[in-house]
Amino acid sequence: MAITDVRTAARERALTEQIEKIEAESGAKAIAVALHDTETGFELHYKADRWFHAASTIKVPILLGVFAAIDRGDLLPHSRVHVRNRFLSVVEDIPFRVESGRDANSAVHNAIGKMMRVDELAYHMITTSSNLATNLLLGVIGAKAVNETLKELGVDEGIELRRGVEDELAFEKGINNMVTADGLLRILVLLSRGKAFSPALSRRMMDILHGQEFNQGIPARLPKGTRVAHKTGEISTVAHDAGVIYLPKRKPYVLVVLTEWDPTGSGRSRTIASISHTIYEFFTQFPSDE
Amino acid sequence: MSSAVTFARNTAIGESPTFPLRVVDGLTLPPDYRRALRPGEEWKDATGHPRQLPRYFYEVPSWDSAMKIELATHFLLWEFIQVDVREAAPLRTFPRYVPCAITLLAVCLERFREAVGTLVHISANGGYRSPSHRFSKNATPHAWGVAANIYRIGDTYLDNRSAIERFSLIARETLPGVWTRPYGAPTGYAEDHLHLDLGYVLSVPRDVKS
Repeated sequence: MAITDVRTAARERALTEQIEKIEAESGAKAIAVALHDTETGFELHYKADRWFHAASTIKVPILLGVFAAIDRGDLLPHSRVHVRNRFLSVVEDIPFRVESGRDANSAVHNAIGKMMRVDELAYHMITTSSNLATNLLLGVIGAKAVNETLKELGVDEGIELRRGVEDELAFEKGINNMVTADGLLRILVLLSRGKAFSPALSRRMMDILHGQEFNQGIPARLPKGTRVAHKTGEISTVAHDAGVIYLPKRKPYVLVVLTEWDPTGSGRSRTIASISHTIYEFFTQFPSDE
Repeated sequence: MSSAVTFARNTAIGESPTFPLRVVDGLTLPPDYRRALRPGEEWKDATGHPRQLPRYFYEVPSWDSAMKIELATHFLLWEFIQVDVREAAPLRTFPRYVPCAITLLAVCLERFREAVGTLVHISANGGYRSPSHRFSKNATPHAWGVAANIYRIGDTYLDNRSAIERFSLIARETLPGVWTRPYGAPTGYAEDHLHLDLGYVLSVPRDVKS
């Protein structure tokens, strides 16, 4: 084994031990971490093939599906979509609505009856995690098309998109969107490298992810001014964050942290922030000698 | 597209010489428009009964003109032609074509507005939409230009039984013969808007010789 391989293995082991310690102290039922450094190629896969309920991280694959439709010419960024709060469950096509209180801002709900542009909806879907925007976009492009896009891009492994969000009937029947840390990692690596459709479209998706307004996870304990393009996801039993972290004078690294909890469990964001900080220190205090 | 126009501006005696839209025979439109509009074709309704689609349309040259043209005192043309990405691509650009019966709907809505005493908001995809619109599964009076989905009246959102049934009753009392969808979730019902329509009305301008 080459010296650099030995060093890399040692670094990986040390980092894994730190994450194990955080997991043990957190009270989480499960934690998974996937990491890829685009500067050195260093990777870490900590339980990264374990499946989790996707919560709102599924909006990243959906974003990819929207831009696939733009790439194909089926949609334009300024194509207009009727804003209507009525969707059909994957269970027997029973209608349901998205609760306005669950969206962090009211912009999309205020447009009910009117139209919004595809790029506006995509922005709200990611930056404030609008469930209404998500279901509207999915209604236009279809889950099947999103899954086909993932397959074409070679990032379908570790992502199961089965329905829109807030489909409670589906939830009760166990029909959920699922992800693994590795699955989300593959998508974000593709985006960060500008390989999703075209560099220009990848950049537009990254711009949207940069607008994220929920910053209690990965960015929380990073130095002020660190740019993070990311997407969070949280329901009663999971809390996730997946993003691309841009530190000064180096290429970005991609980090996915998925966590599962008892419904009463606390300290979710703190745990994600702690893992993110550990990885930040790993890259900055022990820079790679490769 | 204006070369497809077959009839000059309607200035017949007794009709407004100022109505600025030209009448177009849909059968003379270019193939992509004819495919989307299906002028004069039969189309089956939900019960399987064939209905004849409109053949004559007003040509709307631009969004700017749609924003200015009054179909009734409180209703501008643009309110009837808001369609989203589900509409056939040629029909999302200008010139646009709306069935001539759209003016009848506007008059009816004006009367309805007088009855409710406040603003009546037609939803996107809720005025005229073509038979090629992805929402148009069976013959729907929306494709005749004589149906409206109303999602808000004044400050009241019509997203519950009480509001929908209340304004539905006013519509039926005000507009003889109007049909409103009953409140409910199944197909044929409405639970997040008030749907009203005049049936499958065909309007043939009087100087058309068909």
